[in-house]
Amino acid sequence: MEVLGHDRRQGFGRRADSRISLLTLILVSILLLLSSLYSAEASVFRKARETVIDAAAPALAVFAGPIAYLQNAVGEVRDYFNVLKQNQALREENAELRQWMNEALALRETVAAYEALQAYHAPPDAQPVNAVVIGESNDVFSHSMLVNAGAADGVKRGQAVVDASGLVGRIVDVGKSAARVLLLTDVQSRAPVYIEGADIEGLLVGRTNDRPAISFTESSEPVVFRPGQRVLTSGAGGVLPRGLPVGVVVEDEDGEAIVDLYANYARTRLVRVVNYEFPPLEAAAEGGGAGEDADEPQASEQAAPDETAPAAVEPTAPEELVGADDEPQAIEEAAPDETAPAVAEPAAPEEPGDTDDELSSEPIDD
Amino acid sequence: MKAATPTLLGLIGVFLLALPIRIAGGHVPTPLLPLVMVFFWSIYGPNYLPAASVFAIGLLQDFLSGGPLGLWPGVYLVTQYLVLSQRSYFLGREQRVVVMGFAFAAAGAALILWLVMSLMSGALLPVWGLAFQMAMTIVTYPIFSAAFRRLHRRVIVEA
Repeated sequence: MEVLGHDRRQGFGRRADSRISLLTLILVSILLLLSSLYSAEASVFRKARETVIDAAAPALAVFAGPIAYLQNAVGEVRDYFNVLKQNQALREENAELRQWMNEALALRETVAAYEALQAYHAPPDAQPVNAVVIGESNDVFSHSMLVNAGAADGVKRGQAVVDASGLVGRIVDVGKSAARVLLLTDVQSRAPVYIEGADIEGLLVGRTNDRPAISFTESSEPVVFRPGQRVLTSGAGGVLPRGLPVGVVVEDEDGEAIVDLYANYARTRLVRVVNYEFPPLEAAAEGGGAGEDADEPQASEQAAPDETAPAAVEPTAPEELVGADDEPQAIEEAAPDETAPAVAEPAAPEEPGDTDDELSSEPIDD
Repeated sequence: MKAATPTLLGLIGVFLLALPIRIAGGHVPTPLLPLVMVFFWSIYGPNYLPAASVFAIGLLQDFLSGGPLGLWPGVYLVTQYLVLSQRSYFLGREQRVVVMGFAFAAAGAALILWLVMSLMSGALLPVWGLAFQMAMTIVTYPIFSAAFRRLHRRVIVEA
């Protein structure tokens, strides 16, 4: 125990104000800092981080429970002052949400009817992993949270974390029983998003304040968006699913869109890790024979419209170009394309090549 | 065993920083307790918080906050070095002067933090959040230093 603190003048450096150990350790920490600057992803650092997260997770979880309970019981101080106004606002929101619920139920029935026709298969929902926030980094420059789901629950790096309101962040470090979530407001956070309505894709960049910005790739066309349009994940890169709600555009600053996030980090406690797997691409070499050559020009024709058409139009595009007997299968193949418009091209050439035998025996296991 | 108390308190302080305690709905950041402890014990009992403990406390904070390794140990150790060099000035001064001294130390620590994080992210980061957290820490310093003084005198020093 003496290395942790001693009350007599002994240990490294006899004199009370000897600073050798201090200076040595300052040097060590500068070296650590420099090496993490150059190789932050070195496996040594990563293993160390994961081990510490795993070790600290039980202790943090023990305390996080009572803290959450206390905060729920006491509630926010401001809530006591405007209870009436809040009730009114909540009632109005409830009424609006009920209308949406009815519409969603009607749409669900429509989708079920389509699926019954075996002409359309909705892409399967990603399997979420439920988790609780057990730790939070209140550091100003590193916004992250610890959740109690780890590799043992199927969590992998890069997966999206959502809560009831929207996208919260992405997983960066995974231990066996706990993981770290990088919030969208952190400086190092990047998430591929698109603006609904304007159909522009960009990258959501954190800026350490409450409102991240979207940076767009250089393009010859001017980028046009309006405040009030929703921002959703675009699924580019294939790691995040498409369509997770992120926030709303609030203003335009120097050509960058500033986003008001749906997620309220002060209230984030129950989250879900979206265990999304990009659907596997079947081998394009399957099938073949004479039918393939005749269909090849169609394949290249398909590739071009698939790239330029947005995802919503895709179910009809292959339908137009492919022959009649390939039709049901083409619409089937369009379903995985829904989730990844960026990869429409490799999927398209395989469609004419597949035979009808493969159609019946080929399940859609995304 | 009692001599290890400041180190253990430092580790508890780091844990408090890592827990999701959201004061006033998350608008108020958790004060930087380990900095308070490093400052206090560097003045009044440097033997109780040797450089190795400060390094360990900083490293644990690095791991739990997810930042680059070596940042917080560097900040705390440099603070300890500067405070130790001014120790003879602070000993025996009244508390107002010590609080002012802590304000300077916190400002210095904030400067190092801001410089390193700006270098690492390649952009000049906004200072406002950091200033707010340091202000909160300075405001809570008198409370904690009073508590630590009692602890130091009654429990640790009296064997």
